[in-house]
Amino acid sequence: MSRIQIPSKTRLLPSTQRVSPTSPSLPKLLSKLPRQSLISLALDWLSEENLPLCPPFLSSTSDYDSDDGSSDFYPPLPTVEALRQEYHSLLSQKGSKKDIIDRILKGDWRKGLTLYQVAMVDLQVLYESASSVSWSAYRIAPLTASADDEEKEEEVVDKESLRIPRFHPSSFLRALQGEILSDMKVHFTFDRHKALPLLILRVFLLDSPYGNTGTSSKEATMGKVVFVSFPDGSPHIFISKASTFTLAAAATIASNGGQARGAGESKSLRTLLVEGIPKALSRPRERVTLLSTNLTTKNLEGMVHRKGGGRQNFAGGGWGGYADEKRKESPLDTVMPKTAEEEGSETETEGRQKRERGHIIGRAEREEEQARRRAKKVAKARFGDTGKMGDGKGVERVDIVLEDPFKGPRRGNPKGGGDKGADGDGDVEMGDGDDSGNGEGEGEDDFRPNVRLTFHGSHVFAGIRQFVEAGIIDGEKMPGWMTDEEGVTVGAVRHGRIRGNKGSGV
Amino acid sequence: MSTSPPPQSPPSLDEEIESLQTRITHLKKQLQLHTSTLLTAPSTRQLLLSSASSSSAAPLLLTLPSTSSTASTSSPADQKAFKETLLAKSNSQQAHHQATLYRACATLTTFRATDPDPNAVDSGRILGLRIEVVSRAKFLRPYYVFFNRPFASLHKNFLRVHRHTVPQCIPLAGLANRYLPAPSSGRKQDLAKFARQLRREVVRYHHRLGVVANLRKGAGIGKQEAEGTEEEEEDKPVDISVADAEAKQVTIEWADGRTGRLVIGDDGEVVDFVVVAEDGGRDRDAGRGLLGGGRKGPVEEVVSRLASG
Repeated sequence: MSRIQIPSKTRLLPSTQRVSPTSPSLPKLLSKLPRQSLISLALDWLSEENLPLCPPFLSSTSDYDSDDGSSDFYPPLPTVEALRQEYHSLLSQKGSKKDIIDRILKGDWRKGLTLYQVAMVDLQVLYESASSVSWSAYRIAPLTASADDEEKEEEVVDKESLRIPRFHPSSFLRALQGEILSDMKVHFTFDRHKALPLLILRVFLLDSPYGNTGTSSKEATMGKVVFVSFPDGSPHIFISKASTFTLAAAATIASNGGQARGAGESKSLRTLLVEGIPKALSRPRERVTLLSTNLTTKNLEGMVHRKGGGRQNFAGGGWGGYADEKRKESPLDTVMPKTAEEEGSETETEGRQKRERGHIIGRAEREEEQARRRAKKVAKARFGDTGKMGDGKGVERVDIVLEDPFKGPRRGNPKGGGDKGADGDGDVEMGDGDDSGNGEGEGEDDFRPNVRLTFHGSHVFAGIRQFVEAGIIDGEKMPGWMTDEEGVTVGAVRHGRIRGNKGSGV
Repeated sequence: MSTSPPPQSPPSLDEEIESLQTRITHLKKQLQLHTSTLLTAPSTRQLLLSSASSSSAAPLLLTLPSTSSTASTSSPADQKAFKETLLAKSNSQQAHHQATLYRACATLTTFRATDPDPNAVDSGRILGLRIEVVSRAKFLRPYYVFFNRPFASLHKNFLRVHRHTVPQCIPLAGLANRYLPAPSSGRKQDLAKFARQLRREVVRYHHRLGVVANLRKGAGIGKQEAEGTEEEEEDKPVDISVADAEAKQVTIEWADGRTGRLVIGDDGEVVDFVVVAEDGGRDRDAGRGLLGGGRKGPVEEVVSRLASG
């Protein structure tokens, strides 16, 4: 019994569809990989299970004229086995990356790489250079028909639902195809992330205005690539920014048009996906929607840490100590757990002994030492084990809008947060805009400067922690949102607390 | 001495240091354990309490540690201070014992914490809820839920979930909206019910994970397959894995290409079990055989049937 053919399947580009070897995107994409991975990728293509999807150019199978071979820089080999041998020998030799790319594009796959191969390269780039793609996290939330309005059948987020949205890759893909517009051609690839608990879907979308011209190699065709990843055990999805991939060498006029449209289109593709994915994830009577979580980062590992299936999701910053699975806390353990102070004092006495052995230190020096130790302790209390350089969980940009009045009647000094933020990390943009703020219902005399803070850096919160440890930021007066407690990268601060998607709470 | 040192000596010295280090940590742990046992032993407490009450008249059995240089010349005042610190330590140890006893037996305990954020609501007062989970005869790291009181004075005692370490697959947000609604909804909050329901969900989740582990064990997955018996037994499951976040659905793959989906209900009963052959058709016989006729049996029966073949 054969599977039922779905009409939408015709929109699906076959994996064996070739991309023209003259496409400018191909060498660009391949050059993102180091030589070693290029060769191992080529060997992957030549393996038994991948071979039908990535046929190489062989002298035995194709109508190759050996007389032309004299001018051919990369003469084709007779069999797949010989080709495998060739790449194995390349693996042990030294050489440049350019040679391998040339060999792949002008030699062994001179008729072009298939879409399957391109997808493999793209995913490999994703695994090897983690920060190549920028991701945004969305929460999958169940919907329910609103109780007030039964005629309209409007659906609202069901806050009391105990259902955790579930996801089945193949049926999701089938439903997603139904959601893609009929004049688009798509190619999907699923892959499991090598190191992280993620399932990655690569969507290649060919948006050609006239239906079937998309596959003809003469036309300049721009494709868009979007990655969607599903973390294990977590009702979130991460959607990447769309990138452009040119299928064939661009004919001048068409490509100009394409470039101009590019930016707007990649945005619309993303909206298309954001709208289409919840519909594809929904089942009859179980509708879901996607909610933004105000988290955007290039670091996929940090994303999984903040929105994955673990315990840290709602316990960032200093609360992370409660989520740390390594710490043992069995009720059967009769030994009293050491408090942070005791642990600190132990190292302290050791340090003192060492110093006493060395030389007698002055009073100023001792005070300085004490202040430094205290700053370290405060940093430990506020950040816990998070925000450390090199933990691989950094975000590279955090945007904060301060909505507090300049001299708040309720809270101490919200301006303090702004000042410290300015010292925070790297470049800080202080946008001092109109003070005609949006303080509705607040006192007229409230001076609300429009203050926006942007933190840039390789690991923003580690940078702030270092400032606390160095004593530049007063760790005790620092607001909570500077410790990554909320797990957001965009947020508005009111009364000194983030009032973003969820604020504090669930 | 010869100019070339023996080549083995640096690594062996390193090894020696390492082994000594591990021994130090081990001995330190031993010392802690003995200290805690001695401090809370009834006889020690009796001695501490009696000598504390009867001033310095009774002959002291307690002496300061001999390492301290002042031990020989310690004044009675010093000894008294030492005794007091010992008593304080003993008391806190006693309190710790009681806390662990409650944690082990009640599995739902509360504690107080402070929010380090200077802008925190209610001056940072936090109520912590600790949920103990036992899985495979071991206490796991407890799950924590922290509540604060962000609402105005009229609804002073209304709680709100502030932070928590419960995994995403537990519908905590739904439970919180049901049992701890905001004052604007006009409903009452019920912390006890919330805690019980949350604990139930957490325990169910861990039980389901345990069942899947048992299924795997029963089918012999994860053991060494060096003998290469896979080819002979066509109807042997080759993979059993959790298919969704809540571990309510289990995928079973057989060596001959059939796949099965087992749906586990809230109370550990089998809701449904479908086996699909490689060509896409339903294998109803196999499904019925593993279910054992009845639909709503416990999952454990499927485990035993898978184990028996």
